[in-house]
Amino acid sequence: MRFLHRERPADPGAGDVEALIDVEGVSTSFGDNVVLDGIDMTVGRGEIFVIIGPSGCGKTTLLRHMSGMLPPSSGVVRIGGESLYDLPEEELDSIRRRMGFSFQHGALLNSMSVIENVALPLAEAAPHLSRDLIDEVAQMKLEMVGLLDAKDRAPSDLSGGMKKRAAIARAIALDPELVFFDEPSAGLDPITAAAVDNLILKLARIFGITMVVVTHDIASAFTIGDRMALLFDGRVFAHGRPEDVQQHPDARVQDFIHRALPRDEARGVDITDYLAKGALR
Amino acid sequence: MTPVTIEIPERFDRDTVQPIADRLDAAVARGHAAVRIDLSAVREFDSTAMALIVAALRDAKRTGTTVELEGISEPVLDYFSLVSVRHLIEERKPDRQLGFVERVGRGVMPTLHVARDSAVLFARAVRSLVLGPWTGERFRVSRTVAEVSEAGSSAMPIVSLIAFLLGLILAMQAWLQLRIFAAELFVADMVAVSVTREIGPLMTAILVAARSGSAIAAQIGTMVINEEVDALEQMGIKPVAWLVVPKMVALALATPCLTVLFDAVAMTGGMLFGVSVVEINPGAYLERTQESLKLADLASGLFKASVFGTLIASIGCALGLNVEGGPEGVGRATTRAVVASIFAIIVFDAIFVIVLRVGS
Repeated sequence: MRFLHRERPADPGAGDVEALIDVEGVSTSFGDNVVLDGIDMTVGRGEIFVIIGPSGCGKTTLLRHMSGMLPPSSGVVRIGGESLYDLPEEELDSIRRRMGFSFQHGALLNSMSVIENVALPLAEAAPHLSRDLIDEVAQMKLEMVGLLDAKDRAPSDLSGGMKKRAAIARAIALDPELVFFDEPSAGLDPITAAAVDNLILKLARIFGITMVVVTHDIASAFTIGDRMALLFDGRVFAHGRPEDVQQHPDARVQDFIHRALPRDEARGVDITDYLAKGALR
Repeated sequence: MTPVTIEIPERFDRDTVQPIADRLDAAVARGHAAVRIDLSAVREFDSTAMALIVAALRDAKRTGTTVELEGISEPVLDYFSLVSVRHLIEERKPDRQLGFVERVGRGVMPTLHVARDSAVLFARAVRSLVLGPWTGERFRVSRTVAEVSEAGSSAMPIVSLIAFLLGLILAMQAWLQLRIFAAELFVADMVAVSVTREIGPLMTAILVAARSGSAIAAQIGTMVINEEVDALEQMGIKPVAWLVVPKMVALALATPCLTVLFDAVAMTGGMLFGVSVVEINPGAYLERTQESLKLADLASGLFKASVFGTLIASIGCALGLNVEGGPEGVGRATTRAVVASIFAIIVFDAIFVIVLRVGS
């Protein structure tokens, strides 16, 4: 679990690495509402795996299944070969401590300062360490995400981008092997979003962390993704390297990645034609 | 002078870091001019280990020790490339210690701020109400009616229950004293006078503070952190006229109404005790009650209740509108609204009774 042994594969996404997460036939419904319908996918060790899809397609639910937060209605999620929801609670907890999760809105504990939020997982996991050393680690994580100067502020005093970076600092507090990101760039301006993407890439490259990123930001997905899956209505539509998804023959996939309105809604008119003519300027 | 060399073992991570930390601390604290950290054996390394090196560099900077890092491998250097160690070990100004006066001020000022904010808001609400016809800040009748129903009608069951029990208790306590003088009949006087003058308005106001004062602060506070109040203002709707005035008018009306209910039910409870336990003739009890009841007592009680209602609404609205610090702040504002309201109620009651002699 120490990161010197972890190396990012030479060609991440090539599919020749050992699978870290294996999702097999996962289906979930809440009442009559079918959210996920037979999902199969694998995430290789050391790669950045991006799950894209429109709002409400089940991306976040799938992420919660993968990270041990919510068991699916049927199907199996394996991490490192272990079926996550068949493990006793203590073993699941020890796996959880080796994973980080960056929530969509940060989910920082509001009653604690930023540095206390980041120090919390380490203080709980390694009570034998001195408080000074734990604070030193937390400061270093904050420096990695560029938030050191805001360490004593309350989470409620942070801007959206700062909250996201603080959440990332907390997610990597225990040097995890695997980090999940729920909409890391949602609600951020393009420059801050690019900075968050850059941070994710840097952490993946240097620590060799496996990352699973859920996003509906297509630009960001193609920037950071080694492999990706496109979800529509709870099903995987396209699955593979970014190039494969980009060239996927299905019209809905093409519409989504080119941010076009579905053809029937656009009434046969491609909006980019308008833009090219300057009609919508 | 030769530097002290500390050799780091193969495994340098959060499970093995503590003994190395102690050795490093000792070396730097002993004031060696130079400490050499030999990392050439390291195979396992994590951010706790990295933090330890940063901490050693910081201590060394303070004590003037030179620290040399030896045998750093490429991956370890990579980890260090993520942070600026210079930025990390930079001196930060320690928090200034507060003096006595400042600490007292920090304790007292928030209370004064609540008082000031509530008074200002009350003044603005009155202005909106009085000048409304000229400034276009319409009085919202339907919103006020809804507030009266929420703060008044819905509170009737709990007010009745507490009034009934309190009536029983008062009659019991009065009887225990009065029977010494064989003056049991005066239980009726005792209950009627104490309830209408003091206990009715006070208990009702405390109940309203707990039920509605907290709800007002929570509702408005949530609206503030969701930017709903800004949205109202942006749409040209005055938050004071739209939110505050209806609540203030509603509580100013509903609290005296609830007090009437409280008075009536409490006297019924007292009578039940008097008739069943003390065995006073019901007709005699009613007659004594009628005799001791004065319109002035009732009126002064209702006047106080109305003032208390206005206080509760002003404080609840002021704390809600000045909420800071996200959802956590809403929780704090809610608690403070109840505490501050009850405090204000008691202070105003004391002023009325002792200074202004209301109802005496």
